[in-house]
Amino acid sequence: MITCPSCARAQSPALVCVGCGAPLGANLDLFAALDLPRRLTIDPAALERAYHDLSRRLHPDRFAAAPAKIRAASLRATANLTRAYRTLRDPAARGRYWLELHGRKLGDDNQRVPAELAAMVFETQERLEELRDERTPEALAGARERRLSVDAALAAAGRALAENFARWDAAAATADDERETRFAELKAVLSKIAYLTTLLRDIDRELETARAA
Amino acid sequence: MAYSDKVIDHYNNPRNVGSFGKADADVGTGIVGAPECGDVMKLQLRINPESRVIEDARFKTFGCGSAIASSSYVTELVKGKHIDEAMAIKNTAIVAELNLPPVKIHCSVLAEDAIKAAIGDWKKHHGDAEPAAEPRRAREG
Repeated sequence: MITCPSCARAQSPALVCVGCGAPLGANLDLFAALDLPRRLTIDPAALERAYHDLSRRLHPDRFAAAPAKIRAASLRATANLTRAYRTLRDPAARGRYWLELHGRKLGDDNQRVPAELAAMVFETQERLEELRDERTPEALAGARERRLSVDAALAAAGRALAENFARWDAAAATADDERETRFAELKAVLSKIAYLTTLLRDIDRELETARAA
Repeated sequence: MAYSDKVIDHYNNPRNVGSFGKADADVGTGIVGAPECGDVMKLQLRINPESRVIEDARFKTFGCGSAIASSSYVTELVKGKHIDEAMAIKNTAIVAELNLPPVKIHCSVLAEDAIKAAIGDWKKHHGDAEPAAEPRRAREG
């Protein structure tokens, strides 16, 4: 239970006071901070609406004349709201937050990357090295061709992530081993996305350098 | 973060960089990656099929100084060792030799994984299938 800084009403943590509508500044999880159900599948348009609507309602400017406690609550709520929006709008960041929410971390059991993925990253880095050594049209075409395949792999990983999200949303995993399977699957796909995203950034940097030369 | 002298030495003078021909039947290749930092490492070992001793090693790593130093050091470490001995190499040996700081321990884990992957690949081609992988144990730094 928390107490409203404005009307002193005791209530469960929420965005705004049930009695007077003042921001409570409670330390909410990021789904609650956006007034969204705790579901991993999020409609981007609904997320935007929730963010803009709550930004207006909780904005510190609205409480400029209010007592310090309420101004502070509005600031806390707004900061939490922004963090929630930035985290939840990116599916990979949302997935990592889901792990965090369940006391887990992506790096906490150092996972082995599948051999094909490591080989793909290695081959791509070799193409980029060729491009650095020699800016031939062939090397440039090679790097562009790798970009397409990395992009496609990233899109496929995004779909796999969405499927994992849908499984969490469809039914609570009641059996422990089922939960573990889902967490393992989530970690594997998130680490794949992280790896491919870094690789894509490397490719784009090299292509940009080649273009500028 | 300051690199140790040994890391800098391996980084500036990497040992055994390069690769063996893909057609070489006595060569096992392991490619391993670290998604957290984007590093990727390729280790190749030439293994004598009779004595099962590692006669030569090559590596190529795209990554930070510690990842390059870890793989460079590993190529020196495994040469002349029986594959069973090489399989028993722990990442802690690499950490100790190169004075890796805690944030770079994953580089040594990657190098240890590369040895196992390369030997596993060689065994696959020499009718000596790897027994089912043991569950990944916790690493010490």
